[in-house]
Amino acid sequence: MSILEIENLSFSYGNPRGKLSENVLEGIDIRVAEGESVGLIGENGAGKSTFLKLLTGLLTLKDGVIRVSGFAMNKENLKAIRAEIGYVFQDSDSQLFMSTVYEDVAFAPRNYGKSEEEVREAALSALRQVHMEDKVDRQIYRLSGGEKKLAAIATVLSVGAKLMLLDEPSVALDPKNRRNLIRILNELPGAKIIASHDLDFVYDTCQRVILLSGGRIAADGETEKILTDRELLEQHGLELPLSFSRGRKL
Amino acid sequence: MSRISDAISELHKLDMEADKPGWLQGIHPLPKLFVTVLFLVITVSFGKYELSGLLKLGIYLIVLFVLGDISVKLLLKRMKVVLALVCLMGIVNPFFDRREMLLLGGFAVTGGMLSAATLMLKGVYAVSASYLLIVTTSVEEICYALRRLHVPKLIVTVLMLVYRYIIVLLKETERMTEAYALRAPGQRGLDYKAWGTFAGQLLLRSMDRAQTVYDSMMMRGYDGEFYLRCKRAAGRGDYLYAAVWSAVLLFLRAGSAG
Repeated sequence: MSILEIENLSFSYGNPRGKLSENVLEGIDIRVAEGESVGLIGENGAGKSTFLKLLTGLLTLKDGVIRVSGFAMNKENLKAIRAEIGYVFQDSDSQLFMSTVYEDVAFAPRNYGKSEEEVREAALSALRQVHMEDKVDRQIYRLSGGEKKLAAIATVLSVGAKLMLLDEPSVALDPKNRRNLIRILNELPGAKIIASHDLDFVYDTCQRVILLSGGRIAADGETEKILTDRELLEQHGLELPLSFSRGRKL
Repeated sequence: MSRISDAISELHKLDMEADKPGWLQGIHPLPKLFVTVLFLVITVSFGKYELSGLLKLGIYLIVLFVLGDISVKLLLKRMKVVLALVCLMGIVNPFFDRREMLLLGGFAVTGGMLSAATLMLKGVYAVSASYLLIVTTSVEEICYALRRLHVPKLIVTVLMLVYRYIIVLLKETERMTEAYALRAPGQRGLDYKAWGTFAGQLLLRSMDRAQTVYDSMMMRGYDGEFYLRCKRAAGRGDYLYAAVWSAVLLFLRAGSAG
């Protein structure tokens, strides 16, 4: 069953003077199954962040259809859709706005009207999934970069998001934290869309890759097939992952 | 270490002190906030010449500092700028109000001197009482108590987010000043020509951050209310704290009015 269905999605930012502007996304058709991990790659300006923001309703859909867990994207369904989708921002400091880890992870379930017992259970369960249960009362500012990223992921798990959107999750992580994040993401059962320039990271976490170029889907298929296609990648402003450069797979 | 780093470090230390196990830290935030507000109201209610009555009110602060094991030295260090400003507030009074009010061992004490002393003491009391609350209560607990006292949710939300993000913005400022200093060797501080650009950049980055934080909150079901909780419910000890201090403060006020 599909957790996400997108049909003929097009989007432009428009122009303050009311003139038509070029579409940032054009004719996007995608289906993501439950539990599937999809990498979203493309050069700067390809439309990755715009695409993710449309899925969350942060940008208003103008053309096309988006359905999340069967809910069509519109104003009435926005709250229900946001309970199904978790967005992990590139900068964890923008996502972690409470003082402690627990308060941040409990924020979403409280907003959805859960009792305090349910909130506690959801928060602790989310923290266990990212192996942060020992930091439940830690102040956010005392977390390392890697820990903040995991806490940010826990904040979206606590409400039971079935589809997680991650925007450049490996940015500013040291190798150890990056490896840890890969391990944790691979353990999480829900569907994921990971937008990243770190193609090695995408290779290690996603079974399927969508290549966006100029707002259109240039390729959509198995990770191994797309990320080893030098010509395809270079044609769209990318390069082979380091793991595959010089014929070496790490 | 730069002054910004020092400021950030002090804010972190305040957080840690509020989390420390202690008698005063253990009191429920609602009675603590209530008593603090009552103290502030009573302090302000004293007339400009009622110095003797105001002095007696200091017993509240003395008892809490001693029993709560709160360092006065740290208070003076952290609040030195505020306390200095507070003391400066009444400094011109003696020049305008020269009416002789009483004689102290041959020395004529004027109305201006009395009102200056009263004003300074009120300021010191207000700063000290607020400091006591901040150093023994976390921001979430203070905000929780404010909402229980029906302070508008917008004010509480802004207070919470300002506290959370002041450190982020201070760090951003520190990065910008470091970047500036590395490209302006031999120059002390910011050239006045850069002030406007600097402030503008900081404002733009703050607005950008604010938008992203708001998006993050909306993504997690935010509907205008922060559903804050206290770690434990108020017990008999907490109500007793509020009752005893309320009675003492009101008694001291009433005694001074007579």
